[in-house]
Order: sequence, then C-alpha cells, then structure tokens
Amino acid sequence: MESLVRLSFYFFAAATIALVTSAACYLVYAVGRIRLRHTALTTSAGTTVVSHGASLEPASLGIGRFATLLAWFGVAFQGISILLRTIAAGRLPLSNMYEFSSTFILLAGLVYLVFERWYGVRQLGAIVLPLIVAMATYVWLLPSDLREVDALIPALQNRPLMTIHVSMAILAYATFAVAFAAAVLFLIANRWRVTWLPGPDLLDDLAFRAVTIGFPALSLVLILGSVWAYRAWGTYWQWDPKETSALFTWLIYGVYLHTRSLRGWRGNRSAAILLVAFAAVVFTYFGNYIFGGLHAYGGV
Amino acid sequence: MTHVSLDRPAVNPRALPELVVDRIWRFFCSVRAAIAEIAILALLVLAGTLRGSSVPRTIADTLPFATPLVERWYAWDVFRSLPFASILTVLAVAIAICTINRAPGIWQAIAHPTVVTTHGFLRNAETSATFASALSAPELASQLQDALRAGRYRTIGEERSGEVHLYADRWRYSRLATFPFHLALIMILAGGIVGAAWGFRDNDFIIPEGSVRELGHGTGLTVRLDDFSEVYREDGTPLVYRSDVTIMKNGDTVNTGSMTVNNPLTFGDVVFYQSGFGQAVALKIEDSAGEVLFDDALPLGPFQSKLNPDAPAARMDLVPAGVAMSIVAPDENPANAPELDTLRLRPGDMFFMIRPLGADSPIAAPIGATVSQGESIELGDLSLTFVRERRFSVLQVARNPGIPLFIAASVLLVGGLAVTFYFPHRRIRAIVSPTPGGSEAQLAPVARRDWSAKRVFEQVAGDVGRRIGLESHLRMNEPSPIGEASYRVVAPP
Repeated sequence: MESLVRLSFYFFAAATIALVTSAACYLVYAVGRIRLRHTALTTSAGTTVVSHGASLEPASLGIGRFATLLAWFGVAFQGISILLRTIAAGRLPLSNMYEFSSTFILLAGLVYLVFERWYGVRQLGAIVLPLIVAMATYVWLLPSDLREVDALIPALQNRPLMTIHVSMAILAYATFAVAFAAAVLFLIANRWRVTWLPGPDLLDDLAFRAVTIGFPALSLVLILGSVWAYRAWGTYWQWDPKETSALFTWLIYGVYLHTRSLRGWRGNRSAAILLVAFAAVVFTYFGNYIFGGLHAYGGV
Repeated sequence: MTHVSLDRPAVNPRALPELVVDRIWRFFCSVRAAIAEIAILALLVLAGTLRGSSVPRTIADTLPFATPLVERWYAWDVFRSLPFASILTVLAVAIAICTINRAPGIWQAIAHPTVVTTHGFLRNAETSATFASALSAPELASQLQDALRAGRYRTIGEERSGEVHLYADRWRYSRLATFPFHLALIMILAGGIVGAAWGFRDNDFIIPEGSVRELGHGTGLTVRLDDFSEVYREDGTPLVYRSDVTIMKNGDTVNTGSMTVNNPLTFGDVVFYQSGFGQAVALKIEDSAGEVLFDDALPLGPFQSKLNPDAPAARMDLVPAGVAMSIVAPDENPANAPELDTLRLRPGDMFFMIRPLGADSPIAAPIGATVSQGESIELGDLSLTFVRERRFSVLQVARNPGIPLFIAASVLLVGGLAVTFYFPHRRIRAIVSPTPGGSEAQLAPVARRDWSAKRVFEQVAGDVGRRIGLESHLRMNEPSPIGEASYRVVAPP
C-alpha cells in the first residue's frame, strides 16, 4: 500500500509540473505577443531617424494548442495519482484536505478542458490553470503526514454518502472556478477591448453555463450533507459554520441567477456578483482554518 | 377641427384597505425586493458563520475600540434571532405570492403564446435566418412547420395581411419547473417548523452499561444498554464504537439492536444515534438499616474534582442519607499536569468522598476513601460497594416528523433546477411573406444576449434548411456592448 501511495504522490508531482508549464503557456497565449517595430525615416537633411514602437498581437495558435496538450497531460497524471490512491485506500480520496484538494485539481482541470472544448475558448486557461497551480502549491505546503492514507474516523464511515457529497462539492467548486475565470476575462475584455479575447456575450454565457452545473451540484451538497447529518447526528441541519458558509455561497449564486434571469442583468454587474460568489467559495473551502465545528476532519 | 380636452379622466378612488393590500402584494411580487431579501439573508448567514470563527476576535485584537461590538456579535445567536426568523418568513411569503402572481403569465406563455410578431423584431434580432422559395407563402410556412416539428418543436401559425406568422417552441413545460423549486424552499422551512413543533430531540441520553433509562417525551419507552464496545487505531483515535441496546415498552422488550455512528437504530418513528461514550462506575450504596439507596452505574466525566481536575469524576446527591457523594477515577493521562493530581490512584482504584448535604446531615466533615474494584467500605453510616468499572454510551434520540417533507422538498428542488437549466424553453418566431418570385421566410430566436440559444438556433436553422431543401442565409447583428447592460425581460412582441 505504501508503494502505491508513494507512486500516487510521484504522479501528483508530474501533474504539478505539467500544469505549471501549461499555465505559463496559457498566460502567454492569452496575453499575446509583443511586436517591436523599427521604422527608419530619412530626413531632407539626409540623416536617418529610427522610430521604435511596440504593439500587442495575438499569440500563435501553436502555444495555445501546446498549453491544452499540457493541461490534458496534467489532468491525466493527476487522474492516475487519484486512481492509485483510491486503490491504496479502498475508497475515493476525499477525507482530508490533501485528498480533497488533490481531487479538486483533477476535477477543476477536467471541467475547464470540457468547457474549453465546448466553447473553443482557450484564453480562459490563463485564469483557471493558475488557480489550479495555486491549489497544487497549497497541497505541496500541507503537512506531509496528510499524505498518508488513514482509516476513516467513525463519523466519515459512510462511503456512498461521503463519495457523492464530497465529490459534488468538488464539482461545484470546480465549475465555479470556471465561472469566476469567465467573469474575470469578461471584465478584462470589456474594459480594454482586447480584440483576440472571446466576445463578452460568449463569456457571459460560459459563466452562466458553468453556474448552471455548479449551482445544482452545490444544492446536492447541501441536501446530501443534510441527509448524512441526519443519519450520523440525528438532525439534518446543525447551523455548523461549514454548513452555513456553504449556504451563504448558495445564496450568493442564487442572487446571481435571479438577477440574470429575472432582472436581465448581464455584463459587469453579473461578473461582479460572480467574483463575490467565488470569494464565498474560497471562504467555504478554507473556512476550517478559522472555524471548527462538526466538519473539522483533517482540515476539510 | 379637432377638439382636445385637457380634463383628466375620472379615476375611481380606491379604498385604503384595497390600496394597502395592493401595495403589500406588489412588494411581495417585486423581483427587486426578493433579491434584496436574499441578499439580507446571505449577510445574516455570513454574520452567523463568522460568529463561529476566530474572525471577530481578530477584529477586536486589531481594532481594540471594536471590542464591545465584537462581544455583542459573539453574544448574538443570529440563527435564532428575530431578524433572521423575520427575513425567512418574508422570503417564504414572497416566494408563495410571487409564484401565485407569475403562474397565469407562465401558463399563458405555454398554452396560448403570442404568435404574431413584427418585422422589427426579426430585423433587430441578434441572429436570424432567411429562406427564399418559389413556393407560395402558405406552402413555405407549412413546410417550415413540418421541418420544425421534425425537430420536436411545437409550431403555431397565423395568417395576417397575406403573411404567415409562425411561432415554434420546445420544452415549454420547463417553465413550470420554477414552481417545484420554489415550493421546495417553502417545504424545507415547513419541515423545520414541523420537526421543532411535533418532534423532540435529546442530545445527551446517557446510559451506563447494564443500566436502564427512561426515554420520556411521551414515548413510554425505556432503553437498556446491554453492551458497549470500541475499537481503537494504533494512534489511539476511535475507529468504531457500538452500543447494543434493548428497547422496552411497559416492561416488555419491543426491539433489540445495535448502533454505530452513521448506522442509527430506528424503532417506530424514534431514532437512536451513537454519539459518544465514556467511563462509568457501578456502585451499590446501602444505609445503616440495610436499605439500598443506589444500585446502578454512574457516568464519570462531566464533573471536575478539585482533587484531580484532569480525571473523570462524578457527583450525586444522596438526599435520604443527607450527603453528597463525589467519585474520582484514576487519571487517564498521568503525564498531563501531574502536579494537579493529589490522589495518585492506581488503575482499578476509585476515590469516594461524602460531604454534608443540608443542615441535618449526619456527618460534620467530608469523609473520603480509596476503594479497589469489588471491595466494600463504610463511609460514615453508609456501606458502599465499588462493583466494577463500566462504560457509558451517549446517545442522541430524536423524532422528527418533518423529515418526509424535507425529502420530498429535496427531490423537487433538484428536479426543478435540473429541468430549468438543462431543458430551457427555446422559442423561434418567423414571418413568411410573399415575394415576386414566390415567398421568403425570416426566422429569429427569442434569445437576446443568450449565446447558447443563438448557437442552438443556428443549428436548428441549418436542420430546417436541409429538411425543406433550401439554403439558409444566417444574419448576425453584432450586439451592442454589454458593459452596463440591464434590461427588463419582457414578452416579445
């Protein structure tokens, strides 16, 4: 088992390298390339004046394709890492912050690549991939004892519910990360009119589609968490900080959906709500560092 | 000659109650108010969440002048406060009234949609498709309808001034999905109220091994803990703990079973959950006349003894004997603050002390003694036998009649969301006009600022073209920048 866990970690390391490189390529692709211009002018006096100029132009498609390829490699390595750990533990790795964040890296990468394929928008990777790299860095910084596979404590010994409840949370957070990236890109595209970025309509729609996956997933997290709480603790709602922070996140995305569908809000205001909502996601994700409660299992 | 009158038309003044009802109704129907209510609820939830964290303390440490405010924050139980209950109530009422208010309009759009549209709508649509044909307008309209029906669109046609107006839609019933979703939110709140009003919950139902406890709450049940077992991991954390119990009613055994965390035991509508465990002591105490004052097990733990604050301890009042008894067990972790342990008990020993209780107590000063398991001693006038060490189990017992409501609400909520998001109401409007060469059809989706709907329309237009053997000419109107776009969603012309 130990060798499988070690091998799983090596694959995580390989995934990190691929994702870091991919993030760099996506950034280069999104920012574009700087073209320097030198124009030599001959004056009437016979002297030559050279004017220097620089402009931003779209990066070559090749770097974008390379970024996507590397992202797929990263996701594949991370998938193998999760698979090996699943075999070693006899369950999906979802029980502590190391496992939760590792699985988040896999799902966030996968969700992003699916959206990239659906919408043909590669520039989104310049925001999502750095987020994934930040999460990988966080995993590297976690105490090394969390890398060991431990038996589940009694409160977590409900594999079907734990698998669905926690997986849904990761799926929700991953899709919200994509929505956040689309909102940021929207604001950039709308503010500076960068011609090679996708159109605002497309980004607005992409963010909405991501939320239409994430919001039902987060609803399922709350519902399945309640069902699990009822089985384990005898009550389906305890006002535990983790529960209420997830509820807070759900309400913010509820505001986003209502303002968009009933008030017709699009554009900057919608994007701003998505930024606030993603801040709520981050708060819920790392909330256990500032509050204890019933969800204080291995930092999750 | 035209005569213009500046007199205002007579308006029937409305009665004040009618006006008030109308205003209240409008408030609860207002989307803006609903969004504000959700936002306020979210802020209260955030305040309640942060109350359970170290954030307020950090604020007080950073900004000392904020300390009184932070203390009030910690003292404020947000989720049981009047503002929180009020906003939930307002939101529930708003959901109900809003739903009632929207229902006729939604049903009208499903059952009797407006068919006639305008050339302006088609001209200004962000995307549209045109088909030119040698057929007459009614014939082309008929072909278009057949092609759209083949794509599972419902179509309705109406002839107006020589032109044929078409309306086509798909997944129209998905507009109803908003109702189960919002009903689910009300049902969840109702489930909470039902559970609180007609259910009960006992968080600390403590039973020592071999003891029998009455459940109460009108159930008529008593519970005996037959056995408690626990399995530890190498690092000392519990892996499994299990209680085997017998449930009795009027002295008769009605159920036996065991429970672990995540595997509760159910009897009728009462559910027993494994919550915790600890050390207990089985005692027999008799007075000088041989009358048994106590013959049961006593849980150790919640009481702290000054003789060793770290050790499991208990206290009970023996009122008939006029004494209070305290019991202290050996320290579970002798290495932790050994200077506080004044007893230094060995494993298997227990320290007992009686103190005077009341003015007519038979003893004047405390009397204490260390007793080994199975031994008996005399403490004052009392004969005490330390029968054995035992375990006690902490159970949670609950009856919640709101659970069926919660489960039904969950299904409605997820189902409603899934239908709303994944089967959106797609609508197409068209006008088929006669031309010198035959006819021309112009189609456009009702999809303002909806990138996905526009892509779907382009696909549908292509499919329709293939089915009727005509080439579709797609036209895109570049939408205006939407940096600050905001508009009311209104019914199309």
